[in-house]
Amino acid sequence: MSLAAEAFVSQIAAAEPWPENATLYQPLREDQILLSDCASSLAVQAYLRMCNLPVHVSCRSNAEYMSPSGKVPFVHVGNQVVSELGPIVQFTKAKGHSLSDGLDDVQRAEMKAYMELVNNMLLTAEISRPRYSSPYSWPLNQILAYQKQWEVRRKMNAIGWAGKSLEQVYEDVSQCCQALSQRLGTQPYFFNKQPTELDALVFGHLFTILTTRLTSDELGEKIKSYSNLLAFCRRIEQSYFEDSQAGSSSRGYSKGPSLF
Amino acid sequence: MAAPSQMATSQLYCWEGDWDLPSVDNECLIVLAYAKFAGAPLKLHKIGNPWRSPTGSLPALKTRKNGSLSQPSDIIIHLRKQKYNADFDLSAKEEADTLAFISLLEEKLMPALVYTRWIDPKNYVEVTRRWHAKHAPFPLNFFLPGSIQRQQLERLRLVRGDEELTAGEELELYCDFFFGDSPSPLDSFVFGYLHLKSLDNLSHFCSNILALYFPSEGREGFSRKVSSQPEGGDADNEPGKRRKQLLSVLVALGAMLSYALLTGIVAIQHVKQEDVGCKDEDRTPVA
Repeated sequence: MSLAAEAFVSQIAAAEPWPENATLYQPLREDQILLSDCASSLAVQAYLRMCNLPVHVSCRSNAEYMSPSGKVPFVHVGNQVVSELGPIVQFTKAKGHSLSDGLDDVQRAEMKAYMELVNNMLLTAEISRPRYSSPYSWPLNQILAYQKQWEVRRKMNAIGWAGKSLEQVYEDVSQCCQALSQRLGTQPYFFNKQPTELDALVFGHLFTILTTRLTSDELGEKIKSYSNLLAFCRRIEQSYFEDSQAGSSSRGYSKGPSLF
Repeated sequence: MAAPSQMATSQLYCWEGDWDLPSVDNECLIVLAYAKFAGAPLKLHKIGNPWRSPTGSLPALKTRKNGSLSQPSDIIIHLRKQKYNADFDLSAKEEADTLAFISLLEEKLMPALVYTRWIDPKNYVEVTRRWHAKHAPFPLNFFLPGSIQRQQLERLRLVRGDEELTAGEELELYCDFFFGDSPSPLDSFVFGYLHLKSLDNLSHFCSNILALYFPSEGREGFSRKVSSQPEGGDADNEPGKRRKQLLSVLVALGAMLSYALLTGIVAIQHVKQEDVGCKDEDRTPVA
């Protein structure tokens, strides 16, 4: 978002508190959702739970088209629609909920850097694993699938990943996990003892890779070799997603795959 | 264990330098800076025509055994494998931070720089396009800048970052050479992206690196602006200029000759052919 648009949205956002009926939209879990979209959606859910903000998850087949930026997930809060983790974090900050207030400037810079690292490596690794089927009937499902594939391939070309072999992608993921593991060390979360948006983002991606059934488990194995990352994912799942399993079904997070 | 003699035959192709910099392109600067930091002996080719590079794009590293490499990260990995390493002294955490900050730079700063150089209309027309048209050979100079601009526009549209220099402000917190006194791969990346002098802290960083590792470039750049004959290095400019001069002389001669043939001298040739049969005839041309 440009600076002016951001300022405008912040002003409007600050006017109202977080409503009870906020909804998060994502594509259908079984058929449609891409690995990267699933990870982004989980990251946003984790972040909102960490902020203690209630949100209802709704799966729609046309979520991509409903979104203002074309990217999923997006949240519908009051009379505003905000998509992607970055803008959602800004939006909640404007409403007075923030996880990174306690960080000093150096740590904030590091947090931004690590978030970019995750986006760069893990997101694009997820994109390179093709998995897109469609809930629509023939021929629309074929057309949409090809369109999606073509779009992804163009993006990969633009960022220079087109020539990468599968081995190199795994190598990059491994490097990224090593960096994350080093940074996490023995701490419970990446910064002090409180989770931040970086924790939400990392959790979203790692959890998705670990629990989604792919043609090969190589990506998952790479992550499992770092025990502190595995423990980190379990910890966040236990602290923020466990209570909803036993709770009422008004919380949209239905019992999906788990690490246990 | 690679012997240094193996590296000596590796050749690095880069965009030429200008405006006190060893190269005008970000990615070439990254690779050059890393090679200097690590002390890798490379044969340097500074060219203005990307078609002359082994991979068709710049920067490109032509190795003896592994073919040609194009991406800056691939080139740096290759240099590391050859034991030319600038990051021995980094702790594990610093290495992890390096990776993270490189991603930050590529995600946030790179689009801003691409925009400034290639998309902003005033800059593009006055600076970038002019420079590339001047340094590319005929007839490439007509369509090369446009084609590179289209590529960069596409790339920017797909990656798309809107926040201009907020990433630079984050980095401002780390002074001098980020991790200790000896430079590292992160420093080469940062140098590559920050030659636009926008923040004091960071511009000191750049001038430090330029002064310490590229002392000759400043003087070379200056002399190139002043004198017409470039000195030292691979003088790829000169054959280009000679060729252009030769070509223009030939074209002029051809034009004059054909004009003369069409108007005047054709008559002389007719007379000469009739005279071939009788050699003793008077051969003065009837002009």
